[in-house]
Amino acid sequence: MVKKKQSQETASPLVVDDDEIGDTSEEDETYQDLSNKLAEIRKNKDVIGYIMRSATSATIDLKEPEKIVEYAIFSSQALDSSQEISDQFELGDVKSVLIEGKESKALCMNIEGNKISIFMEKNADDADILKQISP
Amino acid sequence: MSNEVYAFALKSTLNEIQNACPDVTSNFIFKDGEILAKDRNTEEENATQTLEAFDAITERADPLGEIENISIQSAEGKVNIAAMNDFYLTTVSSNEADEKYVNTLTRVLIPIVIKLSEKFQSASIENEPITTVQPEPEEDDAEKVTDEFIDDETPDEDEANENEQSYEEEPEEETAATEPYNEPVQESEIDDEPLIPDPPVTQLIVENLGGLLVPSDTIRVDQEIINQWNELYGDNKINEVEVEALNGKTTRCKFKHIKKSKDTGKGIIKMPEKMQLTLEIAAGELVTVKPIIE
Repeated sequence: MVKKKQSQETASPLVVDDDEIGDTSEEDETYQDLSNKLAEIRKNKDVIGYIMRSATSATIDLKEPEKIVEYAIFSSQALDSSQEISDQFELGDVKSVLIEGKESKALCMNIEGNKISIFMEKNADDADILKQISP
Repeated sequence: MSNEVYAFALKSTLNEIQNACPDVTSNFIFKDGEILAKDRNTEEENATQTLEAFDAITERADPLGEIENISIQSAEGKVNIAAMNDFYLTTVSSNEADEKYVNTLTRVLIPIVIKLSEKFQSASIENEPITTVQPEPEEDDAEKVTDEFIDDETPDEDEANENEQSYEEEPEEETAATEPYNEPVQESEIDDEPLIPDPPVTQLIVENLGGLLVPSDTIRVDQEIINQWNELYGDNKINEVEVEALNGKTTRCKFKHIKKSKDTGKGIIKMPEKMQLTLEIAAGELVTVKPIIE
């Protein structure tokens, strides 16, 4: 079975399909639920875009499509390195990571195997966005 | 600027933060890929690995710009890495920690300590005489600040100690003192080598020192602080300290360790009232203390 995911109401939606077989409808449901929440969050003018990856699919919606690779690499590195840091201090699984740069900030999290990074302006209310996306 | 000064001041501050917030399980500071100071509970390896992971994030953080803060919320605690001037403070705390309290404490204290260290360091450089090579190195008469000196109660012996010092001598380059006579050292070589570490500056709270036999020119500080000076300066003799009040007034005086165990480890300096008048300060105010290296 071929999965196909598509983000809604996006300026530059990018859909990555994977032909992995054997996914469960529960995973699909979670992914779809998160996609809907992200689409809603994306409407916020302070949100630059987001990336969501599951084991089989990915959805990317960013204001600057030419920087997709940079954002994707950063997103992956942020979650991996944060988990390394958490492991060093025996703090268990990472729930969320907020990375604030001089120009913008990113909220990264892993929700039931779905790795999400939401990029936003410095003045965006990250606490509120985390609340919206959290299960 | 010498990292030793930062390290000394920051390490004390990190330990104090942990004393004030027991929910902070680990904290350390790094700058330019080097760990400058860590509290007593932080393992070197953990700090190094964290630093590497942080570097991996910053290397790929172009979309966000220069990293100012990273907050990691994990199942059993949180990690915060915050930029402060050119330094990065890492704070690991349990989920029970009052984040606002910890942030307020760390984000106020650490920049102040960094600023103070910079201030005193630059003042110290301005006042420091130019180090020259002694033509005839003295016999190795350098000795640590020993308990004998610290516990010395008689003014006569203090004077004797002072008389042994040649106040006209300039601070001696450590390597020059240990060179044998028959191996003349070229000046250019000496100039390239590191000088004696800059004196660490310790911030302490003033408490009154009273009593009939209390000398008016002697303050008392924690033995731990004296030990740190000894570790830092090894063979160099420390007979006096410079005390500076926040109003800028300074004085040189002798020092001894705090005798009463209940007063140790509190970050206080016991000072005779006469000296407080000289510095125009009162008990409860902050002063900074640094050793004077002979």
